[in-house]
Amino acid sequence: MITAGIDVGIESLKAVILKDGKVLARGTGLSGGANRAKAVEQVWSDALAAAGLSPSDVSRVIATGQGKHDVRFADDRVVEPVADARAARFLYPGVTAVVDIGADQVRLVTLGKGDSIMEVVMNQKCAAGLGIFLKSMARTLGMTLEEISRLPDNSPGDAAVNDGCSVFAEMDALGLLNRNTPREEVARAIIEAIVVRINSILNEKIRPAEAATVLVGGVSRNTAVVNALKRRSGINFVIPEQAEYAGALGAALIAAG
Amino acid sequence: MTQEYWRWTESSWTSKDIDWKKAKTITAGVDIGTNSTQAAIMCDNLLFGYANLRTGPDYRESAGAAMRQALGKSAMTLKDIRYTVGTGWGSRNVPFAQKTVDEINCHARGARFMYGPAVKTVVDLGAQTCKAIRLYAWDRIRDFMINDKCAVGMGRGIEVMADLMQVPIQEMGERSLTVGRDPEPVSTTCYAFANTEAIGLFREGYQESEVLAAYLFAIAWRIHGMVGRVQPEKELAFTGGLAKNTGITKRLEREMGMTALTSEYDPQLAGAIGAALIAQKMVEKA
Repeated sequence: MITAGIDVGIESLKAVILKDGKVLARGTGLSGGANRAKAVEQVWSDALAAAGLSPSDVSRVIATGQGKHDVRFADDRVVEPVADARAARFLYPGVTAVVDIGADQVRLVTLGKGDSIMEVVMNQKCAAGLGIFLKSMARTLGMTLEEISRLPDNSPGDAAVNDGCSVFAEMDALGLLNRNTPREEVARAIIEAIVVRINSILNEKIRPAEAATVLVGGVSRNTAVVNALKRRSGINFVIPEQAEYAGALGAALIAAG
Repeated sequence: MTQEYWRWTESSWTSKDIDWKKAKTITAGVDIGTNSTQAAIMCDNLLFGYANLRTGPDYRESAGAAMRQALGKSAMTLKDIRYTVGTGWGSRNVPFAQKTVDEINCHARGARFMYGPAVKTVVDLGAQTCKAIRLYAWDRIRDFMINDKCAVGMGRGIEVMADLMQVPIQEMGERSLTVGRDPEPVSTTCYAFANTEAIGLFREGYQESEVLAAYLFAIAWRIHGMVGRVQPEKELAFTGGLAKNTGITKRLEREMGMTALTSEYDPQLAGAIGAALIAQKMVEKA
């Protein structure tokens, strides 16, 4: 049985086509503002083409993400925690928690017995420390996200930026540049602020001593952020391949039953 | 290569007609802002050259690059410039400047050059801050206001929004003006909240132009509140990068009940031009 999951976030949308538990193809693109339905169609047809399939070959499509209603042809929709939990369990049986760090939302889902979800914790309104902020800061520093990702995890020096508010953090970063702080050092300060922020949301709800905690979402691809987060939280996260497709994968698995 | 919606156009120009060797006083101004850096070269009362480019992570390098581009292919070099004034957020990082002057005075001076001596109110619409400057009829500052801490970063927020909406930043203003009537503005407290709220409007069935209208109206509304506190009077001039966003300027004019003057000069140059003119005063005093 061939199924598909489409995860529409504020910044990017992801599609996964699945057959009997095996990923046939993935697709991604920018969500955009006004023409979301068109962006979805484009990513969908790209993924189908990559899999060598036509739409009728796919038995069931489930959408997730804040833009789940922009997938007009979805057979059903699921909320993001449910998709994340399903993907995490599939990838790492026995997992007890999954953390999803995206463009403007961070979500912790703790898992109970069987298919159950114990708790969902999210950031309240403020998107400090997340993907959009990281991207904007990279631009200020004239660095790509890849360059930031490759920075070694040293404890930051004296340079620090506000870890509660991304708007203030940005002003702090600009202040550091004005005092001729090398951009790599400013990047380190930003990474530290990001992980302090994320860690405050995780807020000790994860017991590192127990079984695996999975980390997914676009920001989990940034090695520098992940290493700093591991250091600060004391949690040894496991990060799957193609971690940003976790939501779409979960939706595709749910579609398969 | 994915289109970069946030990237606004950099520019530079150097005069081919002005015989700078005949000028009495050649001065320069460099304005290092949080997002953009400008250099302006004045030969007496004429603008000889300018550059407007994105501020990089190395401010001193940005100052040098702006200066080089303003000099262009002319035979003029830094040595020919009698006095340079640095201004803006990064004013301390113009190594070849003889003096730094605050951007309030520089914008006021530049605005009077660009828009005429009748200017009494200057609103500088920048990437991080907005400033309202009120002048006496003569060349003195009467009052000024700057937005408070939580309201910073509007220009930055607009760049992020251009990306999220996939609308080229230079088209945002015009597209927002195609609405019949402005919808309710989005939250005005913090640009990060405003961005999220605006994207959410699509789900409520808003068209692109309506989302832009709600977003830019919020910005204009917030600025208007601040400008009101300096008791604005005609003539009005807008400076800074966001002065190019008609979605903000038209709405600000509407709320203020005042039409701003227009100029042949790029409004982003006001600080640098003003700095170069103040540099002239420094030469005259010496």
